[in-house]
Amino acid sequence: MTTGAEGAVIETQVLTKRYPGNVTALDGLTVTVPSGITGLVGANGAGKSTLIKILLGLLEPTKGRAKVLGHDCQLEGEQIRTLIGYMPEHDCLPPDVSATEFVTHLGRMSGLPATAAKERAAESLRHVGLHEERYRQIGTYSTGMKQRVKLAQALVGDPRLLLLDEPTNGLDPAGRGSMLELISRIGTEFGISIVVASHLLGEIERICDNLVAIEAGRLLRADTITSFTEVSRVLLVEVEEGLAVLADELAKRGLDPRQHQRALLVPLAGDATYDAVRDAVADLGLPLGRLEQRRHSIEELFRDAVEPGAEPDYLMTEVSDVR
Amino acid sequence: MSADGALARADRPTAGADGVIHDRGYRRYDGPRLGRVQIVRSLCWHSFRSSFGIGRGPKAKIVPVIAFIAICLPAVVNAVMVAKGGTRVVSYSTYTFALRVVVLTIFVAVQAPELVSRDLRSRVLPLYFSRPMRRGDYPLAKYVAFTMACLAMIEIPLVLLYLGTIVSAKGHSGIWSETKGLAGGLLIGLMWAVLVAAIGLALASLSGRRAYATGAIAIYFFLTWTLSQLIYQIAGGRGGPFVPGGPSPGQRLAGLLSPFTVLDGVRQWFGDKAVGPMSPPGGYGAAYVVMFLVLLAASFAILAVRYRKAAAA
Repeated sequence: MTTGAEGAVIETQVLTKRYPGNVTALDGLTVTVPSGITGLVGANGAGKSTLIKILLGLLEPTKGRAKVLGHDCQLEGEQIRTLIGYMPEHDCLPPDVSATEFVTHLGRMSGLPATAAKERAAESLRHVGLHEERYRQIGTYSTGMKQRVKLAQALVGDPRLLLLDEPTNGLDPAGRGSMLELISRIGTEFGISIVVASHLLGEIERICDNLVAIEAGRLLRADTITSFTEVSRVLLVEVEEGLAVLADELAKRGLDPRQHQRALLVPLAGDATYDAVRDAVADLGLPLGRLEQRRHSIEELFRDAVEPGAEPDYLMTEVSDVR
Repeated sequence: MSADGALARADRPTAGADGVIHDRGYRRYDGPRLGRVQIVRSLCWHSFRSSFGIGRGPKAKIVPVIAFIAICLPAVVNAVMVAKGGTRVVSYSTYTFALRVVVLTIFVAVQAPELVSRDLRSRVLPLYFSRPMRRGDYPLAKYVAFTMACLAMIEIPLVLLYLGTIVSAKGHSGIWSETKGLAGGLLIGLMWAVLVAAIGLALASLSGRRAYATGAIAIYFFLTWTLSQLIYQIAGGRGGPFVPGGPSPGQRLAGLLSPFTVLDGVRQWFGDKAVGPMSPPGGYGAAYVVMFLVLLAASFAILAVRYRKAAAA
């Protein structure tokens, strides 16, 4: 297998896609995605699906280059598509065939010989947790089961990379949980790299090793999950009363408190922050309920970052490339 | 969660990214992989089978089976008559024209949407396009498959007729003339299949709603056929089609409207003498050939545009 530098599964360089009518879907996106599970996050319309189509070699970029597993997307689309399993966002299943037949057929379309396609279809369906139901017509399935069939068809050709577009779409919380668990298992135990596109950061943050955040076709940030969360260390201060007074006092002491439900979040800059908070609470004589160091969930971090003007610097470091 | 994941990854054998056997049952596939041509061939075979409802439920087989029996019946009846001392009355080159028109219209109207509208409706196309195929491979496979299916509908009755006839043919000359007749009939049948399949798929690809697609195809085939007949009658004047002095230009051109009479015009332009549903095109034969090519090109253009859009969507 030819891979790019240090096992990068995806490399793009100033990738730009403009649609007719001067709609810019991707705007000079340069990013390197290492192996493992990577979350591709951004609001709806941020350019996630466009990026996936370019990576599949189905859409020509207006400018720039993209490589998947070391292959050029524009020149070696066919080659790439033998190595990728793709799960689209929308419904893509015919209602009147059984899951077994459907996944077998798509296994054939991935280039498997007839017998191998049958075997691997049965295995893929087993891996995603469909057992006896697999002989039933897909039309009779629940949304959760349909999502599993979509995942199974992406898995059937034994891909090196899975591109999953909003895999938890339409699922209830329990269904989301088990779908995420399944994806995490495929990534860690099956040794398949995965890119999960989602607009729900809080959700995929749980299963990803890396995160690529895009906004309006531009790279917001690409990094490992740990470094994403490191920058977001804050101190949560909860007082039984006098929240507003405390906020003023903390501001006077050079801190930048922010109200979060019935508590204050204060950027944590070291022990000095603890001291300042302790002193402020003591000086005002407020009843302190809770004082704890907290990791921002990335969702909060991201939501805050895209709010124009409301960009506290502890929430988001400057946009940087992962390499 | 992510920490656990990282741990599991670190524990894994790292002997290259390939060839590592993971526990918990996931097996890599290291057997042979078929190339693009074989994948397209496989799609083609799959589509050919579904043209007859094979691999689908029993309901999917009703229309193709009835259509197939209906179109074979005249050949079988005539063959039986020949065996009992009668003569072959059904022609290889025109077969039973009206029956063929009706049966093919129904077959194409019902089965062409089965091949393309279903996939559009269930939005399964992105799954095909994300596999090692090229943009044009999908419509190509569908077209070849459906042409083969129409070919089976058209040619098998001819072969049955031939087999039934030569069993009782007298002498070598009899067999030879039957064989010549069959060869011509098969070639004309090929022309039919090529055009009818193209038009059927092109119209079906315009709608994901199967009922609309079926309706569009049936209406197109029946309406043009009816209009063509109507104009033919009108152009013949009060006396009907057989006016003195041979058919009028209007009568000779009326057939250009319907794909079926276009096909028959081309047949006669090739010099086949069997009596068709309308007057021979006479000096306008070339117009029928041009029309044949125009219909074919238009159908291919619709398919090409349709699936270029679908691939990028």
